[in-house]
Amino acid sequence: MTLKIGIDVGGTFTDFAVTRDGAEPAIFKSLSTPSDPSIAVVNGLTDIAAAQNPPQTLEAFAATIDTIVHGTTVTTNATLTHTGAKCGLLTTEGIRDALEMRRGIREEQYNNRYANVKPLVPRYLRAGIKGRLDRNGDEVTPLDLAQVKQAIDLFKQDGVQAVSICFMNSFANPAHEQAAAKLVKQEMPGAYLSVSTDLLPSIRFYERISTTALNSYVGPKLNHYLDQLVGRLKGIGFHGLLLIMQSNGGVISPQLAREKAALTLLSGPAGGPGAGLFYVTPHGQDKCITTDMGGTSFEASVAVGSPMIKNDGEIARHKIALPMLDIHTIGAGGGSIGWLDEGGMLRMGPQSAGADPGPACYGKGGQLPATTDANVVLGYLDPNYFAGGKMKLDVAAARKAIETHIAKPMGLSVEDAAAGMYRVACNNMAQGVREVTIKRGFDPREFPFIPAGGAGPIHSCLICEELEIPLQIVPRESSVLCAFGMLMSELKHDFVRTFVAKLEAVDWKKLGAMIDEMSAEGARQLTEERIPEARRRHDIKFDCRYIKQYHEVSFLVPRELVAMGDVAAISRAFHAEHNRLYGYSLEAEGAPIEIINVRVQSIGFTDKPSYRGETFAGEDASGALKGRRSMYIPETKKFADVPVFDGHKMRFGNRIDGPAMVEQETTAIFVSAAYDCVVDALGSFAIYRKGREDLVKSCFAKEEVTA
Amino acid sequence: MSTKIDPILLSVYARTFKSITDEMSISMEQTTRSPILCEAKDYVTGLYDGDGNMLEQTENLPILAFSLAPVCKYIKDYFADDLHPGDVIFHNDVFSLGNQNNDVAVYKPIFHSGKLVAWTAVKGHQADIGGNVRGGYNPNAVEVWQEALRIPPVKVVEKGKLKKDVWNLIFANIRLDIVQHDMKAEMGACTVGERRLLELLDKYGLESYEAHKQALFDATRKMMEAEIAKIPNGKYSGEGYVYYDGRHEGSKFTIRVDIEVKDKSIKFDYSRTDAQTNGFVNGTFTSSASATILTLLQMVNPDIPHNEGMVSPIEIVIPEGTILNAAYPKATTFGNHLCPPNADAIQRALGPAMPDRVTAGWNNLLCSLTTGTDPEKNEAYVDIGFMGLKGGSGAMLGIDGYDHIGMIDASGGVLDQDYEMFEQQTPHRLLKHELLTDSAGAGEWRGGLGVETIFEIGSEDTQLVTFGDGDFEPAFGLFGGKDAGLNFIRLHYPDGQTVVPKNKDLITGVPKGTVYHQVASGGGGYGDPKKRDRKTLAEEIRNGVISKEAAMRDYGYSE
Repeated sequence: MTLKIGIDVGGTFTDFAVTRDGAEPAIFKSLSTPSDPSIAVVNGLTDIAAAQNPPQTLEAFAATIDTIVHGTTVTTNATLTHTGAKCGLLTTEGIRDALEMRRGIREEQYNNRYANVKPLVPRYLRAGIKGRLDRNGDEVTPLDLAQVKQAIDLFKQDGVQAVSICFMNSFANPAHEQAAAKLVKQEMPGAYLSVSTDLLPSIRFYERISTTALNSYVGPKLNHYLDQLVGRLKGIGFHGLLLIMQSNGGVISPQLAREKAALTLLSGPAGGPGAGLFYVTPHGQDKCITTDMGGTSFEASVAVGSPMIKNDGEIARHKIALPMLDIHTIGAGGGSIGWLDEGGMLRMGPQSAGADPGPACYGKGGQLPATTDANVVLGYLDPNYFAGGKMKLDVAAARKAIETHIAKPMGLSVEDAAAGMYRVACNNMAQGVREVTIKRGFDPREFPFIPAGGAGPIHSCLICEELEIPLQIVPRESSVLCAFGMLMSELKHDFVRTFVAKLEAVDWKKLGAMIDEMSAEGARQLTEERIPEARRRHDIKFDCRYIKQYHEVSFLVPRELVAMGDVAAISRAFHAEHNRLYGYSLEAEGAPIEIINVRVQSIGFTDKPSYRGETFAGEDASGALKGRRSMYIPETKKFADVPVFDGHKMRFGNRIDGPAMVEQETTAIFVSAAYDCVVDALGSFAIYRKGREDLVKSCFAKEEVTA
Repeated sequence: MSTKIDPILLSVYARTFKSITDEMSISMEQTTRSPILCEAKDYVTGLYDGDGNMLEQTENLPILAFSLAPVCKYIKDYFADDLHPGDVIFHNDVFSLGNQNNDVAVYKPIFHSGKLVAWTAVKGHQADIGGNVRGGYNPNAVEVWQEALRIPPVKVVEKGKLKKDVWNLIFANIRLDIVQHDMKAEMGACTVGERRLLELLDKYGLESYEAHKQALFDATRKMMEAEIAKIPNGKYSGEGYVYYDGRHEGSKFTIRVDIEVKDKSIKFDYSRTDAQTNGFVNGTFTSSASATILTLLQMVNPDIPHNEGMVSPIEIVIPEGTILNAAYPKATTFGNHLCPPNADAIQRALGPAMPDRVTAGWNNLLCSLTTGTDPEKNEAYVDIGFMGLKGGSGAMLGIDGYDHIGMIDASGGVLDQDYEMFEQQTPHRLLKHELLTDSAGAGEWRGGLGVETIFEIGSEDTQLVTFGDGDFEPAFGLFGGKDAGLNFIRLHYPDGQTVVPKNKDLITGVPKGTVYHQVASGGGGYGDPKKRDRKTLAEEIRNGVISKEAAMRDYGYSE
């Protein structure tokens, strides 16, 4: 019996997903403790121990935990709130402002009050050092170590906690950076150190220096936090494996996370997309759109076989070029505030009422109408069963906020105004989904849609209607999807090297050796993480482009093709991916291709929680019917009396006709009039367009599944 | 109209139009090849109704933006009933409302239920457009034919079929193959937009679309009128100056604007502006009107949607024959770059009326384009020089100017090159590219800092074209704020000689090893520098963006 716990620290709640082989996963939530997030971790574990049958002491329970996978927002928050470490930077003479100049972008062109971001390292702590490599990595001027020493003296005197090193053209030759690093280690042994070529040895100076500076900025904070966490876990007798979630959807050991702290900048939401893939398997699918609707934001991402990755991310307007999941975030959540612009048009968000005071219906003094207030007026939320009845919602306050700020000025009834807020919010979220599908060359209609977050499944039918998506899967664990996803994640280590060459003129031996070097480093790390050879894989990707294009396309290349130097096959793969992304390729013209970067991802496969298959319980869901309630039906734009089911009582095969409402303690699922719902073999609620039973065949043909 | 307006659906339309033009913009960014398009994003994507009224635009470089709708209307009248599904039309002609010869647009009419209901359009700055000089900037031109190939509205695709002869006629007159690919990218982006709009029409129907788009225009117009109403009624005048027409040394020209604000309407009258030049320093009506609109837009609520309703309360009068609206067949390639002095005139005029909305002067554009052969690769290169040209913006009440933002007509939408990509794509070596100490105009709120750029030229027989301004007159300070520094470009030859190109010049035969030195200076300051926050000032001295000497001299700083 393997006991694994996924822990996702959020702004308001810390989520726990507890799995044991063969048992249904359990969900827990504890209130987050932002000043030291590890306190909430221990509080939650205490609750989980007490909830065991028979109840256990924390210490006895902790000793039985095999694995904890942990997602943290410590680095994210330090960046967003500008509370990272005091940093110094060693860079090349003449270009020390690259970090602050950000290539001269002002994201809001017409807004003269839009200020630049504060740089991660103040100018006086950015030292330009003599020493220069040319574009091929050959030395033009030797590194001036005396200047490095001078800068170190200033850093020490000023109490710098973390140092970054990034020199021009170092992607082609790390020698100068290594020499400077040696001196820093010697002179400042206690300082956190980030070297650009250790972190990201690829071309594009701004991306590299920004990534390196971010790593130093968040490194000391993450180390401090991991000290606290590891200390507390040790203190309660946990001696299993602790793994940290990284932005690329994989996990790493705490030791590696300490060194490459920037890998965790998107740790929190990174568990979701992988979990989505798990939940679509009963329907014969290997791809999905995973979304997560929280209080202030809505996140969307796509997975095809595995979650989509991007190499050009951004956090708080700082570039980060480490591979991260392609998760698109917009300001739309339960707390998003509805308002009228100067032209009298209704808008939702991005301003949010947050958790405190929260939407007007929370009764904590919020006066402005939020998405959740509209949900209450529309009947989607039962004011007496919010969070399983732990919190009463104030319907009158919700109505008043909507009436004052939306309904009256627009000349609408409160109900129509609420319906409008609901539609505009759903439209915003649908546009967010377009960002990760249509703009990346995917047709959303071909993807099952996974709505996570407590409020997600109230809105998903209308979002899917907008995008013509016929199938939604709502997991029972949808309110803690990320925590659950962490338990499904593999160990992942990414490597990149710049290798600029025309594809037909590549020195394949040299390139092969470079790939082997990266794979060997990956293997070394996996060995440290105790992953046996049989459970490892090294994926190779090339970043290529048509000569003279500026943007590269990243695509998988089998190792055999590199060994054979099979230019034709590699070209075909590139043309195909370019065509998929941008609607055309230049294959017919035989346009020449150049390679810019080569990447290796070393994967170590972890043990997954095994799921108990549910037994088929037949179509009849009447046993779960708990009442009827009036709610708004978007298709008819009218209120109707709708059956409400207790989701906890619904079993594999149970089917209900839309419109209907399914309630669980932490989720409300609205099945609109155009959809029906059936419970699948994993216990998820599969919501399909009326008449499209073909999409959920496995929920009807019990023989196939229980066999 | 009988269709009932659904106020919620109205928001849905507005949001979807924006998402369509954004999607077209991403398609352009990812598929174009010329660095001026894919790196610097010198293009605009737009959506228009059947009559050519703007529904939405994504304006990476606003100076191109506000000629798209007028040209759309022109094209519609030009072809009248000869427009069909599957047509694709090219246009760049500055004498039929184009803004600049190099800015070549693609228009695609969109039909639904057999009716012309909308247009998608993309306009981008093409790497070459024929004419006497590669790249299009010919400081010696006096007539349009010395500058460019004129493309009045022409169908390159009719009813879905490529007109091979027309296509070849156009591209036989353009030097670089890359332009064909980039025009295909513009066509692709138009198709992307068309597909999305048709989906929307299928869903909600034509009648709903027509009614709601009109309601959207009305709502937007109301927003714009409310902003204009905040400006006190009255008449305001201001001037901006242009130095050197590329042919007559010492020449200087004045842009004069008379602004009349009356309740909800605003009129910009340029009748007193100097006459056109006998060079290429001339505007076209749409380039000058775009400059006016984008300057005004920075003074109002930045959330106003960009559609016909936004521009309809604005009236612009620019008589033909003035430097802002040259008569046929004058040369006009420099016209987009008359935006900075035009903006200066407007800021100076409106300053007293709305001191909380105007900015001090922005750094004026001065830039260069170098071409030559990379000796290591034995390949030709063209460098657009975005590395050096981005100076600071003017300060305004309560906020410093933005450092290294570049000319006001891009307002931070145009990026400089990545330093390492610059060294891969040219044979040059970058020696310095940093914020320039003391380049910003002093003030209670200082101007944005400018940058200093130095690189070593790596090719023999290099050609250099310069164009711009800001080397005679600095960005001006406002309400007690100080002026900023001046722009310059200097070439230090290996033999010790220093060459200072004029601000519109063509220099040939620049040898390898020459050191190129450029300053794009800062923006003007706002308010009395003596009142600047002392803590901020001390930090700036420590960071070396203001020297101690300048702090003592300009800010009255003492330790």
